[in-house]
Amino acid sequence: MKFFNHNTIVAVALVALATATTSCFKDEPLNAECDIEKAWVHVDDLEASFYNANDTLLNVLSTEDKIVFTMRDDADVTAFAPQFKITAGATITPTSGSAHDFSKGPVTYIVTSQDGKWSRKYSVSCNRMARYTTSVIDFDFEHFELDKDYHKFYVWHNVLPDGSLGNDWATGNYGFYIANSNSAANEYPTFVLENGYDGHGVQFVTRDTGPMGHTFGKPIAAGNLFLGKFNMLAGLMQPLKATEFGIPFTQKPIRLSGYYQYSPSAPFTDKNFVEHPERIDAGDIYSVLYINHDRNGNPIVLYGDNVLSSDNIVAVARVKNVNETNGQWVKFDIEYEYKKDINPDILANRGYNLTIVFSSSIEGASFEGAVGSTLKVDMVKLTCEEKE
Amino acid sequence: MSAWAIMPNDGGCQNLKNFFRNVEGYGRLGYSIGGTAPMGMPSEIRKLNKFILQPNVAFGADFIKPASERWGVLAGIHFENKAMHIDADVKSYHMEVTQDGQSMEGVFTGKNDSHAFQWTFTIPIQAVFKFSDKWKLKFGPYFSYLTSCGFDGFAYDGYIRVNDPTGAKVLLGTDEKERGNYDFKDDVRKVQWGMGLGVDYFFARRFGIYADLNWGLSGFFKSSFKTLDQTLYPIYGTIGIAYRFK
Repeated sequence: MKFFNHNTIVAVALVALATATTSCFKDEPLNAECDIEKAWVHVDDLEASFYNANDTLLNVLSTEDKIVFTMRDDADVTAFAPQFKITAGATITPTSGSAHDFSKGPVTYIVTSQDGKWSRKYSVSCNRMARYTTSVIDFDFEHFELDKDYHKFYVWHNVLPDGSLGNDWATGNYGFYIANSNSAANEYPTFVLENGYDGHGVQFVTRDTGPMGHTFGKPIAAGNLFLGKFNMLAGLMQPLKATEFGIPFTQKPIRLSGYYQYSPSAPFTDKNFVEHPERIDAGDIYSVLYINHDRNGNPIVLYGDNVLSSDNIVAVARVKNVNETNGQWVKFDIEYEYKKDINPDILANRGYNLTIVFSSSIEGASFEGAVGSTLKVDMVKLTCEEKE
Repeated sequence: MSAWAIMPNDGGCQNLKNFFRNVEGYGRLGYSIGGTAPMGMPSEIRKLNKFILQPNVAFGADFIKPASERWGVLAGIHFENKAMHIDADVKSYHMEVTQDGQSMEGVFTGKNDSHAFQWTFTIPIQAVFKFSDKWKLKFGPYFSYLTSCGFDGFAYDGYIRVNDPTGAKVLLGTDEKERGNYDFKDDVRKVQWGMGLGVDYFFARRFGIYADLNWGLSGFFKSSFKTLDQTLYPIYGTIGIAYRFK
């Protein structure tokens, strides 16, 4: 007696094979992200509220949760209605475009992902720009804390003219964190120097990025600190684009001074981690002032690949030969060399960006340097032209 | 199984000869196709862009001891490769990589290119049911020992959210140093097992064709491997030719 005919058996076998080798795709999962990607505001009278149009549109980095509109000190922000571009499918409370009284301080917005499982809290504020009343700005590096997300690495704050703390100092520590999340804070490239020239300082050490960093072709990470933003987005693909140098600055800088120590390590390695015994590492300390927009008013930011070469540069101050100091603090005091004249109107309307940069390896942006090279910096002072 | 139970303990040479007298011997040469894949496609995997055929040859010998007119027991030794190379679109795919005490965790959206292979010695032990002289159905477990293996690939043309969907967003490119390369060969389980189901069709007295499905029931990776959320199982189908030599 035959239970099955041959065709049935073949069909069963084929179905079994087909089940194993084909894939049944399920419905697309809902978006889990919940970012504010852009924030902007429309005002009828731009000049009355803002210094320039670029200040009305802010690109928000994935690592940021504070959104600050910088406005004129007499701007009316009692019914300020910022709008937001958020992750597709996410929701935001209060709603984008709703008016709130920002004169009482920051307003908290909460973005919830499409799948409802994730949310992010953003603080949005209008900073009615206070100006520095003195011509000398001190950076003494006494204001630091561990990063708010992971409590792994240090971040520094600058002191704003009204005494509050700003977020204008950036480092590449976040990039180091990705491949070295288990490192202690003082194993990062940039960390707090307990015994600085006076109080705390900043210490920069060129680090080996470990096996995962090597996988990405980024074998070392120089310690750095700069005025600007560190943008993780393109950090792996175009690391030179991760350093967005400069913050709007409304005074004319004249001199940059401070104290440093430097100790080059060995061996010097290139971006493929090949040793070059003939090369000796050096540190880098410089400052650049540049025009932050083009002729049509579109914003311009200088990155690692053009911060010292762009046509937009107006002035540069750079410490020559940051070499071995034999454990001694060395004073630097350099003048800004102006390549172009300053336009006072543009300066007053936040049309120039200033950056100050420290790095433990002068070619660190190209992943060249010596693991262990150490720079220490403290008591940096920026002297600007006296206001008339 | 009953067929082995009748094997004599003390009958000497003649009994052994009698035992093997009706044992059938088959040689096989086949080609496998399949995947080292999660059981049930997770929704994070969106689309298969490429499925590249691999050198998945399988060859070996099987012996069938008839136990009754229709039933028998099969045992064999196969040497085979189960490999896959796929390229897929993924969305919010969770991965955690640990290397030398450092770990990197994230959620990836983009393209993923994976290549897995395992050269194995496999021993199938199967019950055989003969429908006729031409048709046989086979079912039972198999055990594999891996002589070489690999699992590597790269995530590319997309972005990672560091740690979770609210973490820093980092783009991955397509060039070697812009993408997330991985290599998990050290975490592959060396001894694996699973269940096999197959059918033989002999169109001539000595020549036939066969189709087997081998469904791995032990994970492809050691249980200590936590990088991927899903457990992957090697699930491969083989078709080939069979030759009866005894």
